[in-house]
Amino acid sequence: MNELGRILIVEDDPKDVELTLTALSEYNLANEVVVAHDGEEALDYLYCRGSFAARTSDNPAVLLLDLKLPKVDGLEVLQQIKSDANLKMIPVVVLTSSREERDMVASYKLGVNAYVVKPVDFHEFVNAIKELGIFWAVINEPPPGSIKNK
Amino acid sequence: MPPREFPSKRLVSAAARYGFALLTVALALGVALLAGAETHNLVFPVFLTAISISVWYTGTGPGLLAMLLSALTYNYFFTDPLYSFYIDRSDRIDFIVFVLFAALIGWFSSRRRRIEEALRRARDRLEAEVAERTQQASLLDLTHDTIFVRDMNDVITYWNRGAEELFGWTATEAIGQSAPELLQTVFPMPMAAIREALLAAGRWEGELEKTRADGSRVVVASRWSLRRDEQNRPAAILETNNDITERKRTERQIRRLNEDLGKRSAELEAINKELEAFAYSISHDLRAPLRHMAGYAELLQRRASSLLDEKCRHYLAMILEAAQKMGELIDDLLAFSRIGRAEAQTTRVDLAQLVKEVLSEAQSECDGRQIRWSVGALPALRGDRSMLRLALVNLVANAVKFTRTRAQAEIEIGSIADKNRAPVVFIRDNGVGFDMKYANKLFGVFQRLHRTEEFEGTGIGLATVQRIIHRHGGRVWAEGQPDRGATFYFSVPRAQEEQR
Repeated sequence: MNELGRILIVEDDPKDVELTLTALSEYNLANEVVVAHDGEEALDYLYCRGSFAARTSDNPAVLLLDLKLPKVDGLEVLQQIKSDANLKMIPVVVLTSSREERDMVASYKLGVNAYVVKPVDFHEFVNAIKELGIFWAVINEPPPGSIKNK
Repeated sequence: MPPREFPSKRLVSAAARYGFALLTVALALGVALLAGAETHNLVFPVFLTAISISVWYTGTGPGLLAMLLSALTYNYFFTDPLYSFYIDRSDRIDFIVFVLFAALIGWFSSRRRRIEEALRRARDRLEAEVAERTQQASLLDLTHDTIFVRDMNDVITYWNRGAEELFGWTATEAIGQSAPELLQTVFPMPMAAIREALLAAGRWEGELEKTRADGSRVVVASRWSLRRDEQNRPAAILETNNDITERKRTERQIRRLNEDLGKRSAELEAINKELEAFAYSISHDLRAPLRHMAGYAELLQRRASSLLDEKCRHYLAMILEAAQKMGELIDDLLAFSRIGRAEAQTTRVDLAQLVKEVLSEAQSECDGRQIRWSVGALPALRGDRSMLRLALVNLVANAVKFTRTRAQAEIEIGSIADKNRAPVVFIRDNGVGFDMKYANKLFGVFQRLHRTEEFEGTGIGLATVQRIIHRHGGRVWAEGQPDRGATFYFSVPRAQEEQR
């Protein structure tokens, strides 16, 4: 594990954020995590505006996206990313409570890279997060221009 | 038969006609002889009359004979020298007068005959035409269709029995009346436009509203045909009307029913949408707090496990178990609601093949169990494969679950074929069975006949089976006895095309 890609978590529920971060930290994957609490904040981060105006313009190595979000919902964020020439290469993983087929179909139509339903069981949840983190932030070679720290 | 027909009709045979000529001349001779020599001036006109009558009534031949006989008789009896056929020079003029007179009468007679003949032919033609028209009119009277004829001023000239039956006016009442006024016709477009179409095409048809004699309204499908005279001028309009009042009423009713149905289905659609939103909300919003409960309890268990006593660890385990259970309930409930919402994909489903698949999947649950399976002949059905599969999975899982207490479990899957009815599929086990007085509760959502400690489950499996079979238009039922096994039956109608 010499390099760690930056993970952008878009999640409005603080408990989910805490549990996700806990799961990631169990595997030392939490150092390069940024949390956006709604769709708008996520887009602010990606476009380096608002409170993120000062950050370097690199893209995250992966984006874990909840669908049900205040202000701008997950599908809209996904659409925005996939229709932007600079952002569309960012791997996006939908991480949601929804098992609804229409959400899944809509996400894949918009070009999502993976769709994961959050398991109720915490062990399974931790496993899912761990595998996602390891795969996207460590194993996967992110597109050029992504943040990866030694 | 008119009297003037008498001679030509009666004196048809030649003998009779010549006899008539002979008789006429004889009568003339008699009259002349009786009159005597002193009325000599009367003799000549008498014979002329005889010749005229003969020619007039009997034609040329007998007329000629009458003329000849009259000349001879006149010559013999009344000219000097008397009683001889000698013709004096002075008498010649009389004979010329006889001949000319006869010719003249003959010419008149033949002209009269020709005219008479022409008249008779014309009359015969007229009579035939009248007979034909009468026959046509009585035929038109026979039809149930409403037919009347009106002239170009809309005055009714013919009115059949169908018209009388439909509109309530008799022919006597209707003929001579203006049709639109009598029937208070409501036209769908300006009269001028209808006229124009009628004159252009020779026909017109449309729906009209008319009024009966009793004042009630009647809707008719009206067809007009234009009749032209020999000079090709519009002469009359034949109008056929069919009563479509009832049809119109039914159409309106159907339209209304359709509107109602549309409204109902819109309502249902709205309700369905609401339900979908509800299911979505359950799926997303109920699951999140559950996950959090489970997650934090798990974290607590990890961190504090060494600090907690046995009881506290048990409580934490129970919290986790309950969360797990609720997660299953939510998943099952969502799957159940999805059956109602999903679009059914109807294909031919081979149940034998489907059961084979289901059984091979069920093997993992049967580890360490002694189960004797027996699978009989199974029919092919028309239905949604994945739904029918889910139904079978639930029924098989049930049979496996409720035979758990048996050292040797026996599960039989088969079908009862019936020529006239849909085949019945059954799944029989030798498990714990159930009391028939609870049979109606078996298929209810969250209904369970066993305590959770005995047999785990959410109480949605059989409700799902029932929902699937009902969606296929079929029925499902069960028979059982406590501790003596249970049999579940279902049948799906063959005529699946009728189902949705």
